[in-house]
Amino acid sequence: MPFTLTRRSFASLMAMTPFLSPARAEDGWAAIAAEAKGQTVYFNAWAGSPQVNAYIAWAGEELSKRYGITLQHVKLADTAEAVRRVRDEVKAGRQGSADLVWINGENFHVMKEERLLYGPFAEDLPNFALVDVDGKPTTRIDFAESTEGLESPWGMAQLTFFADGAKLGTPPMSMMELLDLAKAEPGRITYPSPPDFHGDTFIKQALVETIEDRSLLPVAVDKATFTGAVTPLFDYLDQLHPHLWRAGKQFPQSQAQVTQMLADGELLMGLTFNPNEAANLVMAGTLPATTVAWQNRDGSIGNTHFVAIPINAKAKAAAQVTANFLLSPEAQARKADIKLWGDPTVLDMDKLAPAQRALFSDARLPGSVTTTARTIPEPHGSWVPLIEAAWLARYGA
Amino acid sequence: MTRLAGAFPLALLWALPLLASLAMLAPAAADVAAWRMALAHPQLWPALALALTTGGLSSLLALATSLLLIGTLWRSAAWGRLQSVAAAGLALPHLAFAIGFGFLIMPSGLVARLLVGGEAPPQWITVQDPWGIALTLALALKESPFLLTASFAVLSRGDAALRLRQECRAAATLGHAPGSAFLRIVVPPLLKTLRWPLVIVFVYGASVVDMALVLGPTQPPTLAVVIWRALNDAEPATNAMGLAMTLLLTGALALALALVVLLLRFGRRAFHRMLTSGPSLLPAPALAGAIIGFAAFAPLAFASSIVVLLSVAPRWPYPALLPPAVSLSAWTAVAPAALWLSLGLALAAALVAVASAVLWFETQPRARDRWVIGMALAALALPQLASAGGQYRLFLPIGLTGTLPGLFLAQLTPVAAYVLIVLAGPYRGFDVRYMVAARALAASRLSAWRRVKLPLLKAPLLTAAAIGFAVSMAQFVPAQLMAAGRFSTLPMEAVTLASGGNRPLTAAFALMLALPPLAVFFAAALLGRPRWR
Amino acid sequence: MALTLEQVSIGLAGRQLIRPVSLVIAPGETVTLMGASGSGKSTLLSFLAGDLASPFTAAGAVSLAGVALDGLPPEKRRIGRLFQDDLLFPHLTVAENLLFGMPRGARAKRMAKVAAALAEADLPGFGDRPPHTLSGGQRARVALMRALLAEPRAMLLDEPFNKLDAELRQSLRGFVFGHIAARRIPCLMVTHDLADVPLGGRLLLLKEGAVSHA
Repeated sequence: MPFTLTRRSFASLMAMTPFLSPARAEDGWAAIAAEAKGQTVYFNAWAGSPQVNAYIAWAGEELSKRYGITLQHVKLADTAEAVRRVRDEVKAGRQGSADLVWINGENFHVMKEERLLYGPFAEDLPNFALVDVDGKPTTRIDFAESTEGLESPWGMAQLTFFADGAKLGTPPMSMMELLDLAKAEPGRITYPSPPDFHGDTFIKQALVETIEDRSLLPVAVDKATFTGAVTPLFDYLDQLHPHLWRAGKQFPQSQAQVTQMLADGELLMGLTFNPNEAANLVMAGTLPATTVAWQNRDGSIGNTHFVAIPINAKAKAAAQVTANFLLSPEAQARKADIKLWGDPTVLDMDKLAPAQRALFSDARLPGSVTTTARTIPEPHGSWVPLIEAAWLARYGA
Repeated sequence: MTRLAGAFPLALLWALPLLASLAMLAPAAADVAAWRMALAHPQLWPALALALTTGGLSSLLALATSLLLIGTLWRSAAWGRLQSVAAAGLALPHLAFAIGFGFLIMPSGLVARLLVGGEAPPQWITVQDPWGIALTLALALKESPFLLTASFAVLSRGDAALRLRQECRAAATLGHAPGSAFLRIVVPPLLKTLRWPLVIVFVYGASVVDMALVLGPTQPPTLAVVIWRALNDAEPATNAMGLAMTLLLTGALALALALVVLLLRFGRRAFHRMLTSGPSLLPAPALAGAIIGFAAFAPLAFASSIVVLLSVAPRWPYPALLPPAVSLSAWTAVAPAALWLSLGLALAAALVAVASAVLWFETQPRARDRWVIGMALAALALPQLASAGGQYRLFLPIGLTGTLPGLFLAQLTPVAAYVLIVLAGPYRGFDVRYMVAARALAASRLSAWRRVKLPLLKAPLLTAAAIGFAVSMAQFVPAQLMAAGRFSTLPMEAVTLASGGNRPLTAAFALMLALPPLAVFFAAALLGRPRWR
Repeated sequence: MALTLEQVSIGLAGRQLIRPVSLVIAPGETVTLMGASGSGKSTLLSFLAGDLASPFTAAGAVSLAGVALDGLPPEKRRIGRLFQDDLLFPHLTVAENLLFGMPRGARAKRMAKVAAALAEADLPGFGDRPPHTLSGGQRARVALMRALLAEPRAMLLDEPFNKLDAELRQSLRGFVFGHIAARRIPCLMVTHDLADVPLGGRLLLLKEGAVSHA
């Protein structure tokens, strides 16, 4: 026969050739696992949290024990570093230095658009079957853009506010209630200035709660439609800003700065994308035990973060095994544990066996969200640059 | 031929890679879309104005502080101690100082807790003020030790210090009080030595990012912050806009410097009229010097001790005067391998930089210095995301990224730039008659250099090496780019962790980054102290 | 052991600073060269010593004790020099300065020479002192002894008494010329001060590029 390929060589061919679709069947997966053994995965991941770093170190130990894979955490201050590196490498025709990237949103869009990603692979991972794709549609739609199997879901995020319950009476459960609070407590509330990710999200939340026609949000927007649609948003911000910290003339640079100012007592409220971050900060001693966290009553912006494989990755097989391991109930349960990280799972509890379900603990801790609100998907990616530019032109100087 | 060969190490290891990386930026200059985007950016002009004012004012303040301190102390017993204090201030990373200084003056900071108290902090505008005052003050305080250290390179150099003392004695016989003699005898050569360090201070102050993020204004921020954000973006178009802004900032800095040079040319006559206006009874600035000394070093000392406290305080809410609980967890997060790699790289980069700079000065005519100094300034003036980005794209196709040699060369670029600038003044200012005398005593060129010039220039050489070491220990952007995830240095560990904004962690790492340079500065001050004083 | 100059000229930027001059200085003889500032006197000394600075050019032949010096580096010429300043190395003690140019040899022998030189300079026990603790006259004497301990075959003096006060000058002149004469080496001195000229010594004048006998 002209094509007598062994399984192994077939798998390695698959792993090396981005143009062929990866093996689909289970025996294909076995080949990938075999190929993965002995490979080193350079996992490019934001490293700003000791908890996250410790979790990745644990995953590395497990991967080495179970699959003979060496996981190297390449610590990033900003995921865009990895995007630029892959782009430069591909342009120079060099083999990649990154095998797996922690990614979502704009970074994913850019990589997808510039064809810098390997795949589709995500939905062929054995553990993808456990993902809650119906209950958590953002596991397949990243900022209104279909993932097309180019990234594998890792964890969930949802805009959450937090404060010291001893200092704040009733938490504001909507943007309008927030305005009332700001009027009552002038100078004690603020949000990070765009293009900080959390600042963007705060404004997007305000957009969702003020826009007249929400059906505009999931689709690409043009300048004219945008200008009309955001009039109520900027009316709201114009009303809000005079009551903010520094009368809305200056804004903190990052979410971390807001959290620090809350911890120091200068601000009343903080915001986060991880619903368990406040509980986590209470555990770490950064926030007092009287901390409360909440999400806006009618829902808040939420999304999913993923792992993706660059098109020029060296260890594509091991990167897939790693992505699959990160989706396993054991890894997901450990990640969801507030004491360790507290990043909500992407899995569907109903798809798990009882023993697997038991791995997840329901325990609430001080600072946990009491009532979880509905997740509002991110507006289409085209909204973001327009919002940032309009905000900057209005309040930037 | 040997003359030419002496330029090779600097050219091959430093100048060529640097020039090539700068050339990689050239296409940005012609990117019309990027320029259009940059010029349409609503923050561009106010942000540029802020960059120039914070950079300019902080340099002037730092210069005035340093001169007053030197005038008070240079002939006193406290002079040696000032050197150690300055070394400590120099070793403290900018970010650490910014955090400590910020915690001192911010509305929920220590000053407010002591003076105001109450339930909630006052609504002061002491940090992140729209005028950049907090940033200017912090920069001035942080840069004074650098200018002082650069001055020591002259004032502690055997031959020069001796001559200045004699000249001051001569001035005294001509009726000049100590202050007058200092102003007319010591300040002029000092200013000449300090001109390049001053340029560095100005350029650094106008392009600093980490301090500006903590203390600087936000709407608009300084231009460096706008550029930093643009260059960090994932979108190539935004990166290109950042590069255009980088070129604009560099051009504006060059223009500002040219303006200063022009003003100085006109001011020269007035300056010389002052120098020769006759003896005055101006006393040594004892009181003013003491006040300025306190005003400059008290915040440095307070800020550093506050950083120590912050590194062990997970929480320190208003209005508590001490942290309610203490935890050492932030100090345990460091990887020893990263520390060793950083120490090795820093040592190698400092030694290679000093050696190739000395080779250059020994073999090249003085007139050529302006080329290497100009390149060094360019290397320091450009945001590292741009210049190191160029170097990365240069090294990528030849397979140097992700390798130890690539990492070393990336570190050497800023290190050699600092070393050249710091060393040029003292080295070229050496009294060559000592060499003539030595050779008349049958010493060969090499032997005379080793036995006379090297020991006499020991202090500035050690200072330059120590500064090179400290610069290397502070490199994040070039290291992070060039390592491509294959190596991890201490600053890489520190900055990636600090990106989470965890204050204890950031403080602990900033202090850890300060310790090796601190040790090296102390060693340099100790070894460099002339025993003939 | 004479110092011989044959048709030596000094140029600067294509112009002749000193027109060709020939001169023989006998062993033990001190020749004095006088002339206005900037006339090129010191440049001539630098040329003879072998370290002419780069904008200057020179032509002609120089030999010492019959050996041509052309192209030899300064340290191979064995020509001692004294300058306006003593140029004692500040990082070395007085004794270390004296040892600096002394040929290698047994340590005891060298130290004995240092002690003898200090005694001759009337500075016994000053060996361990740093130079800046000495007076101007003391330093000038150390500078001469340092030059002589290098065992030069000729001496060049560049206004060596210029910076000393009048009383000191007189005693130092005797000291310097006495020692040079005792070693029977040729010596060329450049000065402004007629009083420096040793008794019965030859005096040359450098005027508008020409060297003539006084």
